[in-house]
Amino acid sequence: MGAVIETRGLSKRYGAARGIEDVDLEVLPGEVFGFLGPNGAGKTTTIRTLLDLIHPSAGSARLFGLDSQRDSVAIRARLGNLPGDFGYGRTASGREALRLLARLRGLGDLGRAEQLASRFRADLDRPLGQLSRGNRQKVGLILACFHRPELLILDEPTSGLDPLMQEEFLALVAEERERGAAVFLSSHELDEVERVCDRVGMVREGRLIAVEAVGELLGRARRRVSVRLGDHAGIADLRALPGVSDLEADDGRVSFSVAGDLDPVVKALAAHRVLDLEATHPDLEQVFLGFYEGAEAP
Amino acid sequence: MSSQVLALTAAHLHDRRRSLLAWGLPLGLMSAFIVAIFPSVQGALREVVEKYPTGLKEAFGIGELNNVEQYLHGEMLSLIVPLAAGYLAARAVAADLSGAAESGRLDVLLSAPLPRRRLCAASFAGAAVELAGVLLVTAILTGIGSLLAGAGLGAGHAAAGFAAVWPLALIGAGLAVLVSGFSLRTPVVTGVVAGALVAAYVADLVGKLDSGLSWLRYGSIFKYYGNAIEAGIEPLAFLGLTVLAVLLTALGAWAFERRDLTA
Repeated sequence: MGAVIETRGLSKRYGAARGIEDVDLEVLPGEVFGFLGPNGAGKTTTIRTLLDLIHPSAGSARLFGLDSQRDSVAIRARLGNLPGDFGYGRTASGREALRLLARLRGLGDLGRAEQLASRFRADLDRPLGQLSRGNRQKVGLILACFHRPELLILDEPTSGLDPLMQEEFLALVAEERERGAAVFLSSHELDEVERVCDRVGMVREGRLIAVEAVGELLGRARRRVSVRLGDHAGIADLRALPGVSDLEADDGRVSFSVAGDLDPVVKALAAHRVLDLEATHPDLEQVFLGFYEGAEAP
Repeated sequence: MSSQVLALTAAHLHDRRRSLLAWGLPLGLMSAFIVAIFPSVQGALREVVEKYPTGLKEAFGIGELNNVEQYLHGEMLSLIVPLAAGYLAARAVAADLSGAAESGRLDVLLSAPLPRRRLCAASFAGAAVELAGVLLVTAILTGIGSLLAGAGLGAGHAAAGFAAVWPLALIGAGLAVLVSGFSLRTPVVTGVVAGALVAAYVADLVGKLDSGLSWLRYGSIFKYYGNAIEAGIEPLAFLGLTVLAVLLTALGAWAFERRDLTA
């Protein structure tokens, strides 16, 4: 079976302003694909182009093997979409929105929507304008998922959700994958992508700079390590290690960045008395830095 | 009509159900007041109006003010009701297109297998039904005002007068769809429609006042709107304006399908 999403040289410019540039990506059936990048990187532009809400300036996009512009209606019959910063006006309730969406899709059975509403503790009867951002987001998730689509496109899906609901959401994504659906998940939260995605595409300043398995991506990332040593002799050992940079020493505490895995650091530290050790999880910026450093290496 | 258009039209009417009262009530009460005071001001008005220049009377559709129908036309149906109804139609369409784009609703609806032209068609259909409802409420309240004051407003005349507003105001809806094909900012959509309606009225007025500029009237929808409360509905004009509104909608839908959906 071919790719669920396939883009070739997909570009979108807004006059002189950048949108996305030459984006080539593939999302496979049953895959959870993370689309990772900082705000303004071009994630939403890519999604809106896939959905034919905006038209590409160059290149092409195919979903389920169909052309994103010519066959847009047939494509949208098979997908669910949660737009970034979900909105539906102030006066309509979630249930009214749901009923309209169901009629537009030719569906009569709202059983799954009710199940999802119960699971996410979503209030479908209050006007959406009276709901908090997180509660509106839950309604948006239900509207995206209730018809069991083959492809879920989710733009920053957990924004506004409390931690419990974020967990529930990640469980739902895993279930959708089990069901055989592909998920295209845009995010700027590395944790979220790491936990649920199979592969990750990183986008920055409109360009897709890498597509990698999640493990490889994190392996490249620079972690910040802080260690308190019982002696000062270890500092020189650490400084000499490959991949260690930005080393700062202050009153027995040494902090530094490490590219790649931590094994050499742990082995070097083993020769010294370690009073305290802390390694932070890389954030998105560190992942990008790690990638660029790797790309620039000879 | 497709089930999607029916569903969207029903949703439009549900969302905008308050406009029946929000627009129908003030217009209806104002019209009712106009017809209700006619018996008591008729004599004085006739004397005043007789002193007006003929051209001015013709330009503003005042006529001789011999009956309540003429008075209602001059005070309400020649300008206020058509402009208000046309603007209402533009707002009704804007709520479904530019307003929906601004609120994010458009992105949600177009995640479903919905061709954009159906969205435009449903918006136009919803505006058409909403307009009919508002005009009906206005006409009923006007009739009640006449009955209470014994003004003697003919039901058939009144029905024709208010019904003739419908295709004229529909032009506002069609124009709003057309403008939405190029801009999804509500102030732009409603502003262009309001401006176009006023310009059409002024062109008709200037054409009436200055025979040298009478050609201007042919470009104005108000020429074809006429004076149905006195002369009855002109079927060809009624049909022509309706067809023009549908054509504007079709053209707008064509543009809307091709544009990027960014406000």
